[in-house]
Amino acid sequence: MGHVRFYLRSLGAHIRAVLEYQSDFWILVAAGIGTQTLGIVFLGAVFARVQTLNGWTFGEVVLIYALAGLAQSVVPVIADGIWELGKSIHDGNLDYYLVRPYPPVLQVMSSQVGFNGVGDTVGAGILLGWALFHVDVGWTVGKVLVGAILLVSAIVIRVAITVASNSVSFWVRSPFPMFATAVYHVGELARYPISIYGFALKLVVVVVVPFAFAGFVPASWLLDKGGYGWLGLLTPVVAVAWAFLAYRMFHHGLRRYESAGN
Amino acid sequence: MRVRAYARVLRASAKTIFAYRVSFLFGSVGAIFQLLAMVALWTALLRNRDELAGFSLTDMKSYLLVGYATGVLGTGFGEQWMAERIRSGAVSLDLVKPLNYQKARFAESLGGLPMEVALVVVVGTVFTSFAGPVMTPAYHLLFLISLLAVVPIKFMILYVSTLICFWTQNYHGVSWARNVIVAVFSGALVPLVFLPQWVNVLATALPFASITSTPALIFIGRISEAEAARLVGLQLMWVVLLWYIGQFAWRRSVRHLTVHGG
Repeated sequence: MGHVRFYLRSLGAHIRAVLEYQSDFWILVAAGIGTQTLGIVFLGAVFARVQTLNGWTFGEVVLIYALAGLAQSVVPVIADGIWELGKSIHDGNLDYYLVRPYPPVLQVMSSQVGFNGVGDTVGAGILLGWALFHVDVGWTVGKVLVGAILLVSAIVIRVAITVASNSVSFWVRSPFPMFATAVYHVGELARYPISIYGFALKLVVVVVVPFAFAGFVPASWLLDKGGYGWLGLLTPVVAVAWAFLAYRMFHHGLRRYESAGN
Repeated sequence: MRVRAYARVLRASAKTIFAYRVSFLFGSVGAIFQLLAMVALWTALLRNRDELAGFSLTDMKSYLLVGYATGVLGTGFGEQWMAERIRSGAVSLDLVKPLNYQKARFAESLGGLPMEVALVVVVGTVFTSFAGPVMTPAYHLLFLISLLAVVPIKFMILYVSTLICFWTQNYHGVSWARNVIVAVFSGALVPLVFLPQWVNVLATALPFASITSTPALIFIGRISEAEAARLVGLQLMWVVLLWYIGQFAWRRSVRHLTVHGG
């Protein structure tokens, strides 16, 4: 429990710091909402002229898009600091984290708050609410509970992928997290029904980097459609596996860390 | 004339980007995945119909490929460096150099071109071989000029938006917000004809359509040669206008410079 308390305090300190710069806060929130809106502008423009995309209705596609967006939007709020890992390694600033009695990976994750995540969450939340009104889901208590578990798992998967991909900075020395950025963009694929992709791309988003489990797959389970629904129940398993993998990768990389020297 | 000085800046930047080529390549993966996602989406959309808003699948693939190319060219190597130097106050060292700040940054941006062109050629070749068939440009010369004009226009838009860092502390928000606006109004997200009338009206008054829409429409020959020539003229007007806007914005921004300690 101590870890959680420290984590929240660390985030709190940064929230206060960011709120000192109010224009930054609003720019970030607006950027977040704008980013979420982009996909809907695209989908809206397209669905004005077609009825279905590979058998998926507008409401269903928005549900997939919003679910993936919501899972992703939490990452900047709780783990934005991990994007600075490459820079910390490059500058030797990781030293500070190593001398404190608290897991370095958590310190790095909570060393920054991305308020764009607030805008993302609001934007994706509104979309998800809209989509749920426009799709056919046979709601039961069980479905609500499992749905909640899948959502949390989806968030864990996104955080884990972000941590793991940024941990590559221990090997690829660059102050900018290019590798992680590239991986992040792969996630864009999972915001649409993956049935439109060829085998290789499906393999990438389901197996190699399981972004599909943070959007399309749980949505497919919820809608009981697309032939991937059964995979949805594996989402928590994937989440636990990737959380473990990300943790191991960070620590494996940490052993390679050598300070910048003075 | 200090052409030689700027040529040196250009060479230094080209060397830097070559030294960081692994990062550069990782950084380019994102756009490639977006291209793949979009091709898959449009292929699914156009599977059972000949055209959407007058775009056949071949048109759309060509449009997306040109959109990819204009997204890569002049990506503004140095955008992040510039933002970081303004934020930290290190920009003060640039101020004492006897070079025009904007020209020096433009030279840096041009230094990225060799790698960018190489990337576009490789991706374009692979794309046409696998995602096949794309057309050849309808009006060769006009297409070439419009593609070249993209480089300074994109630079100036990046440059002016990065100057906002003199006011805000957080560069990412500015960068994301700008990307949203550019994606919608440039036609990179979806051809402008798919978007509502008011977006189109607004787009004619903004420089962003010059980045993607103009070269892409010229490439696929969707517009007459006279119209193509008019749009290229408009691009050249934006090059000149944005250059002076940049100079003006710099003079205003630099007064806001904050340098911490020493």
